[in-house]
Amino acid sequence: MIEIKNVTKLFDGKPAISDISMQFREGQTNLIIGRSGSGKTVLLKCILGLHEVDQGEILYDGRSFTRMKVKERKEVRRELGMVFQGGALFDSLTVEENVRFPLDMFTTMTTKEKASRVGFCLDHVNLSGANHLYPSEISGGMQKRVAIARAIALNPRYLFCDEPNSGLDPETATLIDDLIQMLTREFNMTTIINTHDMNSVIQIGESILFIHNGEKCWEGTRHNILHSENQILEDFIFANKLYAQMKKEKNKEA
Amino acid sequence: MNYFFHIGRYFWMLSKVFARPEKHKMYVKQLFHEIEGLGVNSVGIVVIISLFTGGIMTIQFAYNLMNPIFPSYLIGLGTRDVLILEFSSTILALIMAGKIGSNITSEIGSMKVTEQIDSLEIMGINSISYLILPKIVAVVFIFPFLVILSIFFGLIGGLIVGPFVGVVTLTEYIDGIRYLFVPYYVTFSLIKSLFFGFLVSSVPAYFGYFVQGGALEVGKASTRAVVNTNILILLFDLILTRLLLT
Repeated sequence: MIEIKNVTKLFDGKPAISDISMQFREGQTNLIIGRSGSGKTVLLKCILGLHEVDQGEILYDGRSFTRMKVKERKEVRRELGMVFQGGALFDSLTVEENVRFPLDMFTTMTTKEKASRVGFCLDHVNLSGANHLYPSEISGGMQKRVAIARAIALNPRYLFCDEPNSGLDPETATLIDDLIQMLTREFNMTTIINTHDMNSVIQIGESILFIHNGEKCWEGTRHNILHSENQILEDFIFANKLYAQMKKEKNKEA
Repeated sequence: MNYFFHIGRYFWMLSKVFARPEKHKMYVKQLFHEIEGLGVNSVGIVVIISLFTGGIMTIQFAYNLMNPIFPSYLIGLGTRDVLILEFSSTILALIMAGKIGSNITSEIGSMKVTEQIDSLEIMGINSISYLILPKIVAVVFIFPFLVILSIFFGLIGGLIVGPFVGVVTLTEYIDGIRYLFVPYYVTFSLIKSLFFGFLVSSVPAYFGYFVQGGALEVGKASTRAVVNTNILILLFDLILTRLLLT
Protein backbone atom coordinates (compact mmCIF):
# COMPACT_ATOMS: atom_id res chain seq x y z
CA MET A 1 0.00 0.00 0.00
CA ILE A 2 1.15 3.54 -0.73
CA GLU A 3 -0.09 6.30 1.53
CA ILE A 4 0.32 10.01 0.90
CA LYS A 5 -0.28 12.42 3.76
CA ASN A 6 -0.90 16.14 3.27
CA VAL A 7 1.45 16.36 0.27
CA THR A 8 2.20 19.85 -1.01
CA LYS A 9 4.54 20.78 -3.82
CA LEU A 10 5.44 24.39 -4.64
CA PHE A 11 6.91 25.76 -7.86
CA ASP A 12 8.27 29.30 -7.57
CA GLY A 13 6.38 29.67 -4.30
CA LYS A 14 3.04 28.71 -5.86
CA PRO A 15 1.41 25.37 -4.98
CA ALA A 16 1.16 22.92 -7.88
CA ILE A 17 -0.52 20.45 -5.52
CA SER A 18 -1.65 21.23 -2.04
CA ASP A 19 -2.48 19.16 1.04
CA ILE A 20 -3.39 15.92 -0.76
CA SER A 21 -3.90 12.76 1.28
CA MET A 22 -4.88 9.33 -0.03
CA GLN A 23 -4.32 5.63 0.43
CA PHE A 24 -3.56 3.51 -2.64
CA ARG A 25 -4.23 -0.14 -1.84
CA GLU A 26 -2.47 -3.20 -3.20
CA GLY A 27 -4.11 -5.60 -5.62
CA GLN A 28 -6.29 -2.87 -7.08
CA THR A 29 -5.98 -0.22 -9.76
CA ASN A 30 -5.86 3.22 -8.17
CA LEU A 31 -6.56 6.09 -10.54
CA ILE A 32 -5.58 9.73 -10.26
CA ILE A 33 -7.82 11.74 -12.53
CA GLY A 34 -8.26 15.39 -13.37
CA ARG A 35 -8.08 17.93 -16.16
CA SER A 36 -4.80 18.66 -17.96
CA GLY A 37 -2.71 20.91 -15.72
CA SER A 38 -4.60 19.93 -12.56
CA GLY A 39 -1.46 18.51 -10.91
CA LYS A 40 -1.81 14.77 -11.64
CA THR A 41 1.68 14.36 -13.09
CA VAL A 42 3.24 16.50 -10.34
CA LEU A 43 1.61 14.27 -7.72
CA LEU A 44 2.81 11.12 -9.49
CA LYS A 45 6.34 12.51 -9.75
CA CYS A 46 6.25 13.40 -6.04
CA ILE A 47 5.23 9.83 -5.18
CA LEU A 48 8.04 8.52 -7.38
CA GLY A 49 10.55 10.91 -5.82
CA LEU A 50 11.27 12.71 -9.09
CA HIS A 51 10.03 15.88 -7.32
CA GLU A 52 10.82 16.54 -3.66
CA VAL A 53 7.69 17.40 -1.70
CA ASP A 54 7.64 20.69 0.23
CA GLN A 55 5.24 19.40 2.87
CA GLY A 56 3.70 16.07 3.79
CA GLU A 57 4.83 12.48 3.72
CA ILE A 58 4.81 9.53 1.30
CA LEU A 59 4.77 6.03 2.76
CA TYR A 60 5.53 2.82 0.87
CA ASP A 61 4.04 0.07 3.05
CA GLY A 62 4.74 2.19 6.11
CA ARG A 63 8.27 3.19 5.00
CA SER A 64 8.61 6.95 4.80
CA PHE A 65 9.98 7.64 1.31
CA THR A 66 10.27 11.36 2.00
CA ARG A 67 12.61 10.81 4.97
CA MET A 68 14.77 8.16 3.32
CA LYS A 69 18.41 8.65 2.39
CA VAL A 70 19.44 8.34 -1.27
CA LYS A 71 20.66 4.75 -0.82
CA GLU A 72 17.43 3.65 0.87
CA ARG A 73 15.40 5.31 -1.87
CA LYS A 74 17.35 3.37 -4.47
CA GLU A 75 16.34 0.15 -2.73
CA VAL A 76 12.66 1.17 -2.80
CA ARG A 77 12.95 2.22 -6.43
CA ARG A 78 13.94 -1.32 -7.35
CA GLU A 79 10.48 -2.34 -6.16
CA LEU A 80 8.84 0.10 -8.59
CA GLY A 81 7.76 -0.35 -12.17
CA MET A 82 6.87 2.65 -14.28
CA VAL A 83 5.07 2.99 -17.60
CA PHE A 84 5.63 6.44 -19.06
CA GLN A 85 3.19 8.29 -21.27
CA GLY A 86 5.42 7.85 -24.33
CA GLY A 87 6.73 4.44 -23.29
CA ALA A 88 10.27 5.80 -22.68
CA LEU A 89 11.80 2.71 -24.24
CA PHE A 90 15.53 2.85 -24.94
CA ASP A 91 15.77 3.57 -28.68
CA SER A 92 19.08 1.82 -29.14
CA LEU A 93 17.88 -1.46 -27.63
CA THR A 94 15.56 -4.08 -29.10
CA VAL A 95 12.29 -5.05 -27.43
CA GLU A 96 14.01 -8.01 -25.77
CA GLU A 97 16.97 -5.91 -24.61
CA ASN A 98 14.63 -3.26 -23.21
CA VAL A 99 12.81 -5.84 -21.08
CA ARG A 100 16.10 -7.50 -20.09
CA PHE A 101 17.74 -4.20 -19.10
CA PRO A 102 16.58 -4.12 -15.43
CA LEU A 103 17.49 -7.80 -15.10
CA ASP A 104 21.01 -7.12 -16.45
CA MET A 105 21.38 -4.18 -14.11
CA PHE A 106 20.05 -5.54 -10.86
CA THR A 107 20.08 -9.33 -10.86
CA THR A 108 22.67 -12.07 -10.92
CA MET A 109 20.48 -14.28 -13.12
CA THR A 110 22.12 -16.48 -15.73
CA THR A 111 21.54 -15.72 -19.42
CA LYS A 112 19.07 -18.61 -19.59
CA GLU A 113 17.12 -17.38 -16.58
CA LYS A 114 16.98 -13.87 -18.00
CA ALA A 115 15.76 -15.17 -21.36
CA SER A 116 13.08 -17.14 -19.57
CA ARG A 117 11.97 -14.10 -17.52
CA VAL A 118 11.91 -11.87 -20.62
CA GLY A 119 9.84 -14.49 -22.43
CA PHE A 120 7.44 -14.66 -19.46
CA CYS A 121 6.99 -10.86 -19.40
CA LEU A 122 6.54 -10.56 -23.16
CA ASP A 123 4.05 -13.47 -23.12
CA HIS A 124 2.00 -11.64 -20.50
CA VAL A 125 1.68 -8.61 -22.77
CA ASN A 126 1.13 -10.74 -25.90
CA LEU A 127 4.33 -9.68 -27.60
CA SER A 128 6.20 -12.95 -27.92
CA GLY A 129 7.14 -12.47 -31.57
CA ALA A 130 8.53 -8.95 -31.33
CA ASN A 131 11.78 -9.73 -29.47
CA HIS A 132 14.21 -8.48 -32.08
CA LEU A 133 12.37 -5.37 -33.22
CA TYR A 134 13.46 -1.87 -32.22
CA PRO A 135 11.00 0.59 -30.59
CA SER A 136 10.89 2.62 -33.82
CA GLU A 137 9.68 -0.49 -35.69
CA ILE A 138 6.60 -1.14 -33.54
CA SER A 139 3.29 0.68 -33.05
CA GLY A 140 2.43 2.99 -30.13
CA GLY A 141 0.24 0.31 -28.53
CA MET A 142 3.04 -2.25 -28.79
CA GLN A 143 5.50 0.25 -27.29
CA LYS A 144 3.18 0.67 -24.30
CA ARG A 145 2.99 -3.10 -23.91
CA VAL A 146 6.79 -3.40 -24.06
CA ALA A 147 6.99 -0.65 -21.42
CA ILE A 148 4.60 -2.68 -19.24
CA ALA A 149 6.68 -5.82 -19.79
CA ARG A 150 9.83 -3.92 -18.78
CA ALA A 151 8.03 -2.48 -15.75
CA ILE A 152 7.08 -5.94 -14.45
CA ALA A 153 10.43 -7.59 -15.27
CA LEU A 154 11.75 -7.23 -11.73
CA ASN A 155 8.45 -8.36 -10.23
CA PRO A 156 7.65 -4.95 -8.70
CA ARG A 157 5.44 -4.34 -5.67
CA TYR A 158 4.31 -0.99 -7.04
CA LEU A 159 3.35 -0.13 -10.61
CA PHE A 160 2.92 3.42 -11.89
CA CYS A 161 1.41 4.35 -15.23
CA ASP A 162 1.32 7.89 -16.59
CA GLU A 163 -1.56 8.15 -19.06
CA PRO A 164 -0.93 4.62 -20.37
CA ASN A 165 -3.52 4.78 -23.13
CA SER A 166 -3.06 8.30 -24.42
CA GLY A 167 -2.73 8.45 -28.19
CA LEU A 168 -4.13 4.96 -28.66
CA ASP A 169 -7.25 3.87 -30.49
CA PRO A 170 -10.17 2.84 -28.21
CA GLU A 171 -9.66 -0.89 -28.80
CA THR A 172 -5.94 -0.80 -27.95
CA ALA A 173 -6.62 1.54 -25.02
CA THR A 174 -9.10 -0.98 -23.59
CA LEU A 175 -6.56 -3.75 -24.13
CA ILE A 176 -3.91 -1.82 -22.20
CA ASP A 177 -6.36 -1.07 -19.36
CA ASP A 178 -7.36 -4.74 -19.11
CA LEU A 179 -3.74 -5.78 -19.19
CA ILE A 180 -2.78 -3.45 -16.34
CA GLN A 181 -5.72 -4.61 -14.25
CA MET A 182 -4.96 -8.27 -14.93
CA LEU A 183 -1.28 -7.84 -13.97
CA THR A 184 -2.20 -5.85 -10.86
CA ARG A 185 -4.41 -8.68 -9.63
CA GLU A 186 -2.08 -11.48 -10.69
CA PHE A 187 1.01 -10.01 -8.99
CA ASN A 188 -0.90 -8.23 -6.18
CA MET A 189 0.79 -4.91 -6.99
CA THR A 190 -0.16 -1.46 -5.78
CA THR A 191 -0.94 0.21 -9.09
CA ILE A 192 -1.36 3.94 -9.55
CA ILE A 193 -2.56 5.19 -12.91
CA ASN A 194 -2.60 8.80 -13.99
CA THR A 195 -5.31 9.41 -16.55
CA HIS A 196 -8.02 11.71 -17.84
CA ASP A 197 -9.62 9.02 -19.93
CA MET A 198 -13.17 8.40 -18.67
CA ASN A 199 -13.29 4.98 -20.35
CA SER A 200 -10.39 3.86 -18.13
CA VAL A 201 -12.12 5.35 -15.11
CA ILE A 202 -15.29 3.35 -15.71
CA GLN A 203 -13.47 0.20 -16.75
CA ILE A 204 -10.71 -0.18 -14.14
CA GLY A 205 -11.22 2.57 -11.53
CA GLU A 206 -11.31 0.49 -8.37
CA SER A 207 -10.16 3.52 -6.38
CA ILE A 208 -10.26 7.04 -7.78
CA LEU A 209 -8.70 10.31 -6.65
CA PHE A 210 -9.99 13.38 -8.47
CA ILE A 211 -7.71 16.43 -8.41
CA HIS A 212 -8.83 19.92 -9.35
CA ASN A 213 -6.48 22.93 -9.38
CA GLY A 214 -3.89 21.00 -7.38
CA GLU A 215 -6.30 20.04 -4.61
CA LYS A 216 -8.07 16.81 -3.74
CA CYS A 217 -11.63 17.29 -4.89
CA TRP A 218 -13.21 13.86 -4.66
CA GLU A 219 -12.39 10.26 -3.75
CA GLY A 220 -14.39 7.16 -4.61
CA THR A 221 -14.75 4.22 -6.99
CA ARG A 222 -16.03 3.64 -10.51
CA HIS A 223 -19.30 2.45 -9.02
CA ASN A 224 -20.17 5.76 -7.41
CA ILE A 225 -18.40 8.26 -9.67
CA LEU A 226 -21.40 8.67 -12.00
CA HIS A 227 -23.67 9.42 -9.05
CA SER A 228 -21.44 11.93 -7.37
CA GLU A 229 -22.98 15.17 -6.17
CA ASN A 230 -19.66 16.99 -6.62
CA GLN A 231 -20.29 19.68 -9.23
CA ILE A 232 -16.67 20.01 -10.36
CA LEU A 233 -16.41 16.26 -10.83
CA GLU A 234 -19.72 16.23 -12.70
CA ASP A 235 -18.46 18.95 -15.02
CA PHE A 236 -15.33 16.89 -15.65
CA ILE A 237 -17.15 13.62 -16.33
CA PHE A 238 -20.04 14.96 -18.31
CA ALA A 239 -17.92 17.12 -20.55
CA ASN A 240 -17.88 13.86 -22.49
CA LYS A 241 -21.22 13.71 -24.37
CA LEU A 242 -21.36 9.94 -24.13
CA TYR A 243 -21.41 10.06 -20.34
CA ALA A 244 -23.87 12.96 -20.37
CA GLN A 245 -26.16 10.75 -22.45
CA MET A 246 -25.63 7.83 -20.02
CA LYS A 247 -26.62 10.07 -17.13
CA LYS A 248 -29.76 11.28 -18.94
CA GLU A 249 -30.80 7.69 -19.60
CA LYS A 250 -30.18 6.74 -15.97
CA ASN A 251 -32.22 9.70 -14.79
CA LYS A 252 -35.07 8.65 -17.11
CA GLU A 253 -34.94 5.11 -15.74
CA ALA A 254 -35.08 6.48 -12.21
CA MET B 1 25.51 35.06 -12.58
CA ASN B 2 24.03 32.59 -15.07
CA TYR B 3 27.56 31.62 -16.06
CA PHE B 4 28.46 30.73 -12.45
CA PHE B 5 25.25 28.68 -12.21
CA HIS B 6 26.32 26.59 -15.21
CA ILE B 7 29.86 26.14 -13.87
CA GLY B 8 28.49 25.02 -10.50
CA ARG B 9 26.02 22.62 -12.08
CA TYR B 10 28.71 21.25 -14.43
CA PHE B 11 30.92 20.35 -11.46
CA TRP B 12 27.91 18.91 -9.59
CA MET B 13 27.28 16.73 -12.65
CA LEU B 14 30.93 15.60 -12.66
CA SER B 15 30.66 14.61 -9.00
CA LYS B 16 27.74 12.35 -9.95
CA VAL B 17 29.55 11.03 -13.05
CA PHE B 18 32.38 9.63 -10.96
CA ALA B 19 30.13 7.95 -8.39
CA ARG B 20 30.36 4.19 -7.82
CA PRO B 21 28.67 2.32 -10.71
CA GLU B 22 25.68 0.09 -9.95
CA LYS B 23 27.06 -2.78 -12.01
CA HIS B 24 30.55 -2.61 -13.48
CA LYS B 25 29.77 -5.17 -16.17
CA MET B 26 27.04 -2.98 -17.67
CA TYR B 27 29.34 0.05 -17.65
CA VAL B 28 32.12 -1.87 -19.38
CA LYS B 29 29.65 -3.07 -22.01
CA GLN B 30 28.51 0.51 -22.51
CA LEU B 31 32.16 1.67 -22.68
CA PHE B 32 32.95 -0.64 -25.60
CA HIS B 33 29.77 0.49 -27.31
CA GLU B 34 30.87 4.14 -26.93
CA ILE B 35 34.45 3.45 -28.06
CA GLU B 36 33.00 2.02 -31.25
CA GLY B 37 30.33 4.68 -31.73
CA LEU B 38 32.32 7.77 -30.81
CA GLY B 39 35.90 6.69 -31.49
CA VAL B 40 36.18 4.03 -34.15
CA ASN B 41 33.46 5.65 -36.25
CA SER B 42 35.47 8.90 -36.24
CA VAL B 43 38.58 7.32 -37.75
CA GLY B 44 37.39 7.83 -41.34
CA ILE B 45 36.76 11.56 -40.99
CA VAL B 46 40.05 12.05 -39.11
CA VAL B 47 42.00 10.30 -41.89
CA ILE B 48 40.31 12.31 -44.66
CA ILE B 49 40.71 15.69 -42.91
CA SER B 50 44.33 14.97 -41.98
CA LEU B 51 45.32 13.80 -45.47
CA PHE B 52 43.90 16.94 -47.07
CA THR B 53 45.20 19.32 -44.40
CA GLY B 54 48.71 17.81 -44.58
CA GLY B 55 48.70 18.25 -48.36
CA ILE B 56 47.37 21.82 -48.19
CA MET B 57 49.88 22.82 -45.50
CA THR B 58 52.74 21.48 -47.61
CA ILE B 59 51.67 23.63 -50.57
CA GLN B 60 51.23 26.70 -48.33
CA PHE B 61 54.64 26.23 -46.69
CA ALA B 62 56.20 25.85 -50.13
CA TYR B 63 54.49 29.06 -51.26
CA ASN B 64 55.76 30.99 -48.21
CA LEU B 65 59.28 29.54 -48.42
CA MET B 66 59.76 30.24 -52.12
CA ASN B 67 62.84 32.34 -51.43
CA PRO B 68 66.01 30.40 -52.40
CA ILE B 69 67.66 31.24 -49.07
CA PHE B 70 65.25 28.82 -47.35
CA PRO B 71 66.16 25.17 -47.86
CA SER B 72 63.31 23.03 -49.24
CA TYR B 73 63.39 20.58 -46.35
CA LEU B 74 61.86 23.35 -44.20
CA ILE B 75 58.57 22.56 -45.97
CA GLY B 76 58.50 19.08 -44.40
CA LEU B 77 59.70 20.43 -41.06
CA GLY B 78 57.02 23.12 -40.97
CA THR B 79 54.26 20.69 -41.94
CA ARG B 80 55.40 18.22 -39.25
CA ASP B 81 55.59 20.77 -36.44
CA VAL B 82 52.25 22.42 -37.23
CA LEU B 83 50.60 19.01 -37.39
CA ILE B 84 52.09 17.84 -34.09
CA LEU B 85 51.83 21.06 -32.12
CA GLU B 86 48.49 22.44 -33.19
CA PHE B 87 46.51 20.78 -35.95
CA SER B 88 46.31 17.15 -34.82
CA SER B 89 45.44 18.06 -31.24
CA THR B 90 43.64 21.41 -31.18
CA ILE B 91 42.08 21.74 -34.63
CA LEU B 92 41.12 18.09 -34.62
CA ALA B 93 39.50 18.60 -31.19
CA LEU B 94 37.49 21.53 -32.60
CA ILE B 95 36.33 19.33 -35.47
CA MET B 96 35.52 16.46 -33.11
CA ALA B 97 33.55 18.84 -30.88
CA GLY B 98 31.27 19.25 -33.90
CA LYS B 99 31.03 15.55 -34.67
CA ILE B 100 31.27 13.77 -31.31
CA GLY B 101 29.99 16.70 -29.20
CA SER B 102 26.78 17.27 -31.12
CA ASN B 103 26.22 13.52 -31.21
CA ILE B 104 26.52 13.28 -27.40
CA THR B 105 24.26 16.30 -26.77
CA SER B 106 21.55 15.15 -29.15
CA GLU B 107 21.63 11.55 -27.88
CA ILE B 108 21.40 12.46 -24.19
CA GLY B 109 19.05 15.39 -24.89
CA SER B 110 16.65 13.14 -26.83
CA MET B 111 16.71 10.64 -23.97
CA LYS B 112 15.89 13.48 -21.59
CA VAL B 113 12.90 14.82 -23.51
CA THR B 114 11.46 11.34 -24.14
CA GLU B 115 11.64 10.50 -20.40
CA GLN B 116 14.20 7.72 -20.92
CA ILE B 117 16.42 9.37 -18.30
CA ASP B 118 13.51 9.53 -15.83
CA SER B 119 12.99 5.87 -16.57
CA LEU B 120 16.60 5.09 -15.56
CA GLU B 121 16.25 7.18 -12.40
CA ILE B 122 13.06 5.40 -11.37
CA MET B 123 14.82 2.05 -11.78
CA GLY B 124 17.31 3.33 -9.19
CA ILE B 125 20.14 3.86 -11.68
CA ASN B 126 22.47 6.87 -11.45
CA SER B 127 21.56 8.09 -14.94
CA ILE B 128 24.31 10.72 -15.02
CA SER B 129 27.00 8.18 -14.35
CA TYR B 130 25.52 5.43 -16.53
CA LEU B 131 25.10 7.68 -19.56
CA ILE B 132 28.05 10.04 -19.25
CA LEU B 133 30.94 8.14 -17.62
CA PRO B 134 31.36 5.61 -20.46
CA LYS B 135 31.33 8.46 -22.99
CA ILE B 136 34.02 10.45 -21.14
CA VAL B 137 36.23 7.40 -20.64
CA ALA B 138 35.75 6.33 -24.28
CA VAL B 139 36.58 9.74 -25.74
CA VAL B 140 39.55 10.41 -23.41
CA PHE B 141 40.86 6.93 -24.26
CA ILE B 142 40.39 7.22 -28.02
CA PHE B 143 41.52 10.85 -28.49
CA PRO B 144 45.32 10.22 -28.24
CA PHE B 145 44.97 7.47 -30.86
CA LEU B 146 43.07 9.84 -33.14
CA VAL B 147 45.80 12.46 -32.66
CA ILE B 148 48.55 9.98 -33.57
CA LEU B 149 46.50 8.84 -36.56
CA SER B 150 45.99 12.45 -37.59
CA ILE B 151 49.72 13.27 -37.36
CA PHE B 152 50.57 10.18 -39.42
CA PHE B 153 48.01 10.80 -42.15
CA GLY B 154 48.76 14.54 -42.20
CA LEU B 155 52.39 13.74 -42.94
CA ILE B 156 51.30 11.20 -45.56
CA GLY B 157 49.09 13.89 -47.13
CA GLY B 158 52.11 16.20 -47.46
CA LEU B 159 54.20 13.32 -48.75
CA ILE B 160 51.71 12.61 -51.53
CA VAL B 161 50.76 16.18 -52.47
CA GLY B 162 54.20 17.91 -52.18
CA PRO B 163 56.06 15.82 -54.75
CA PHE B 164 52.89 15.37 -56.86
CA VAL B 165 52.44 19.13 -57.42
CA GLY B 166 56.19 19.59 -57.62
CA VAL B 167 56.76 22.00 -54.72
CA VAL B 168 59.15 19.66 -52.91
CA THR B 169 60.90 16.41 -53.73
CA LEU B 170 60.17 13.23 -51.83
CA THR B 171 63.70 13.14 -50.36
CA GLU B 172 63.58 16.79 -49.24
CA TYR B 173 60.20 16.30 -47.64
CA ILE B 174 61.32 13.17 -45.74
CA ASP B 175 64.53 14.95 -44.70
CA GLY B 176 62.39 17.82 -43.45
CA ILE B 177 60.08 15.70 -41.33
CA ARG B 178 63.13 14.01 -39.74
CA TYR B 179 65.11 17.23 -39.20
CA LEU B 180 65.32 18.66 -35.64
CA PHE B 181 62.57 16.38 -34.38
CA VAL B 182 61.63 17.10 -30.75
CA PRO B 183 59.88 14.04 -29.22
CA TYR B 184 58.48 16.23 -26.43
CA TYR B 185 56.21 17.91 -28.99
CA VAL B 186 54.37 14.60 -29.39
CA THR B 187 54.08 14.24 -25.61
CA PHE B 188 52.75 17.81 -25.45
CA SER B 189 50.20 17.03 -28.14
CA LEU B 190 49.06 13.86 -26.39
CA ILE B 191 48.71 15.65 -23.04
CA LYS B 192 46.54 18.27 -24.75
CA SER B 193 44.47 15.53 -26.38
CA LEU B 194 43.56 14.09 -22.97
CA PHE B 195 42.23 17.47 -21.80
CA PHE B 196 40.42 18.07 -25.06
CA GLY B 197 38.92 14.58 -25.00
CA PHE B 198 37.51 15.31 -21.57
CA LEU B 199 36.04 18.64 -22.73
CA VAL B 200 34.63 17.21 -25.97
CA SER B 201 32.71 14.56 -24.03
CA SER B 202 31.77 16.20 -20.73
CA VAL B 203 30.64 19.67 -21.90
CA PRO B 204 28.20 18.38 -24.58
CA ALA B 205 26.97 15.75 -22.10
CA TYR B 206 26.18 18.59 -19.68
CA PHE B 207 24.19 20.48 -22.30
CA GLY B 208 22.33 17.32 -23.29
CA TYR B 209 21.53 16.19 -19.77
CA PHE B 210 20.03 19.47 -18.66
CA VAL B 211 18.02 20.22 -21.80
CA GLN B 212 14.39 21.12 -21.15
CA GLY B 213 11.56 21.11 -23.66
CA GLY B 214 11.34 19.24 -26.95
CA ALA B 215 13.19 18.48 -30.15
CA LEU B 216 13.77 22.17 -30.91
CA GLU B 217 15.58 22.67 -27.60
CA VAL B 218 17.71 19.58 -28.24
CA GLY B 219 18.89 21.18 -31.50
CA LYS B 220 19.64 24.47 -29.75
CA ALA B 221 21.46 22.65 -26.96
CA SER B 222 23.65 20.88 -29.55
CA THR B 223 24.65 24.21 -31.06
CA ARG B 224 25.37 25.73 -27.63
CA ALA B 225 27.38 22.65 -26.66
CA VAL B 226 29.60 22.85 -29.76
CA VAL B 227 30.18 26.61 -29.38
CA ASN B 228 31.04 26.36 -25.67
CA THR B 229 33.24 23.30 -26.17
CA ASN B 230 35.18 25.11 -28.91
CA ILE B 231 35.74 28.16 -26.70
CA LEU B 232 36.91 25.96 -23.81
CA ILE B 233 39.24 23.99 -26.10
CA LEU B 234 40.90 27.22 -27.25
CA LEU B 235 41.13 28.50 -23.68
CA PHE B 236 42.74 25.28 -22.47
CA ASP B 237 45.02 25.27 -25.53
CA LEU B 238 46.30 28.67 -24.48
CA ILE B 239 46.75 27.63 -20.85
CA LEU B 240 48.44 24.30 -21.67
CA THR B 241 50.73 25.85 -24.26
CA ARG B 242 51.80 28.47 -21.74
CA LEU B 243 52.34 25.85 -19.03
CA LEU B 244 53.97 23.10 -21.06
CA LEU B 245 55.95 24.87 -23.78
CA THR B 246 57.48 27.89 -22.10
